[in-house]
Amino acid sequence: MRMAVGLEVHKTRRLRVWVLCLVMVVAVVALSGMNLFSESAREGFADPAAQPWEALLLGQVMIAAMTSPVLVAVLAGRQVDIEHQGQGWFMARVAGLGPGLLCRAKAVVLGVALTFTAVAQCVLLIAAGMVAGIEVTLPITLWARYGLCLLLVDLALLGLHLWLAARVDNQLVGLGVGLLGAFYAVYALLMPTWVAYVLPWGYYAAISPVAVEGDRFVESAPVPWAFALFLCASAALFLGACRRLDRAEGGPA
Amino acid sequence: MSHVITTEGLTKAYGSRTVVDSLDLRVPEGCVYGFLGPNGSGKSTTMKMLLSLVRPSRGEVSVLGRPMNHRTRHELAALIGSLIEAPPGYGHLTGRENMAIVRRMLGLTERQVERAVATVRLRDHMDKPVRAYSLGMKQRLGIAMALAREPRLLILDEPTNGLDPAGIEEIRDLLKSLADEGVTVMVSSHLLDEVDRMASVLGILGRGRLIFQGTRGELFDRSTPDLVLETPEPERVLDLGLSAVRTHEGLRLSGLGEDETADLVRRLVHHDVPVHGLYRVRRSLEEVFMDLTGREGLS
Repeated sequence: MRMAVGLEVHKTRRLRVWVLCLVMVVAVVALSGMNLFSESAREGFADPAAQPWEALLLGQVMIAAMTSPVLVAVLAGRQVDIEHQGQGWFMARVAGLGPGLLCRAKAVVLGVALTFTAVAQCVLLIAAGMVAGIEVTLPITLWARYGLCLLLVDLALLGLHLWLAARVDNQLVGLGVGLLGAFYAVYALLMPTWVAYVLPWGYYAAISPVAVEGDRFVESAPVPWAFALFLCASAALFLGACRRLDRAEGGPA
Repeated sequence: MSHVITTEGLTKAYGSRTVVDSLDLRVPEGCVYGFLGPNGSGKSTTMKMLLSLVRPSRGEVSVLGRPMNHRTRHELAALIGSLIEAPPGYGHLTGRENMAIVRRMLGLTERQVERAVATVRLRDHMDKPVRAYSLGMKQRLGIAMALAREPRLLILDEPTNGLDPAGIEEIRDLLKSLADEGVTVMVSSHLLDEVDRMASVLGILGRGRLIFQGTRGELFDRSTPDLVLETPEPERVLDLGLSAVRTHEGLRLSGLGEDETADLVRRLVHHDVPVHGLYRVRRSLEEVFMDLTGREGLS
């Protein structure tokens, strides 16, 4: 596995994985923090009742729900497509590395990139809030919990997209699924809570740490058992699918 | 003669469709073995079974004296270089970066990689991205990847596909020189002329079955060439009741073996037919192949 991960790192050269992640971080920070410099928002920066951090956090939830499914689909598609295009499945198989092992190694490498993206989004947005002048106490636990949940949902969907990209060699299919997932994630924020638990992409809404109640923000959290079940099922399905790919003949597609 | 590859009743079926049927291959050590057959005749599937990339439905594969299966595959893979279907290579990476991946994947030394690259004469193009390579360069890179582990056996599936005549000549010379160095090369192709010039042993596949296996000479023995009878009086020959086709030289007679030819000569002498010449037509491998495969075609 260590060797397979090393090979994947080598293959990411010129795939612009880090550039894509950086663009996504900048996009999320810019779109979520758009209101930070408006006059009306600045008025509440010193007023705890105005909940400026919660407003900013909810903005991030919305933008991340819109962009993360697409980022995950694009990263998985790029990292897997090189195997389809370059006969990499056969080359690795002959050397004793099955397609399932390659997919697990890709998950590790892209998982690191997604961790960087989630952490950078949160840190830069908090920094932007501070630079803009928010003076009330930062709900750091809330933000940290959201950052962790966002990363876990990204990783769960990464497994699904890696499997899909390996099985279907036309990467537009995976990208299309990611785009539809993004729409679903955003709409799940506006729909009754249970809708968020129907499809995997809904968890981008379910993990929101704040919700709107009347004219104020209240703390929110995903249903613990449902979230845990989703994560465990995603991990089990991905590992099971990888084992199946390893046992299958030839390439995975 | 020891065999590097032997198969016994090797069969692959997908549902009710049998794509490879009871193959008994014998690939001698240190030769170029030409594996011929029209497209779709089961060559690639057979090669994948030899490499244990596809599980046989029935039968056994033995490579380098050991059974080839998922347990032994990894060990044997270190001794086998292969190029199956299209040449491998990550397009976004340079040739050098691709070879570095192969080196790490197979635990090779820098020297082994350099030697393989030099053998396929690709040294000057190693810093170009593979997507900018011509098809011939990609094939050479694929062969370098197969050669880097210094294999005892090389299995190449249509390595000259899409190459121009100069590229084909280059690959042909390379494979012959590898065989001279003691590497056994099994090469599949549907281009008969190309295999004719490099293979010392041939295996011909038709609709999943092995139609012929042996040397080029043995192959020609299996198919009797036509006789050409040069005579100024062809009508008199036809009057003898022989089945023949008129040509500008005289007559062309098919299906006559050695005894039948001797009998023909006796009859011509007996009837005092003037004969200016009698000889066998030199047949190309392609014509023999077409005969054996029942005119199934080459593509």
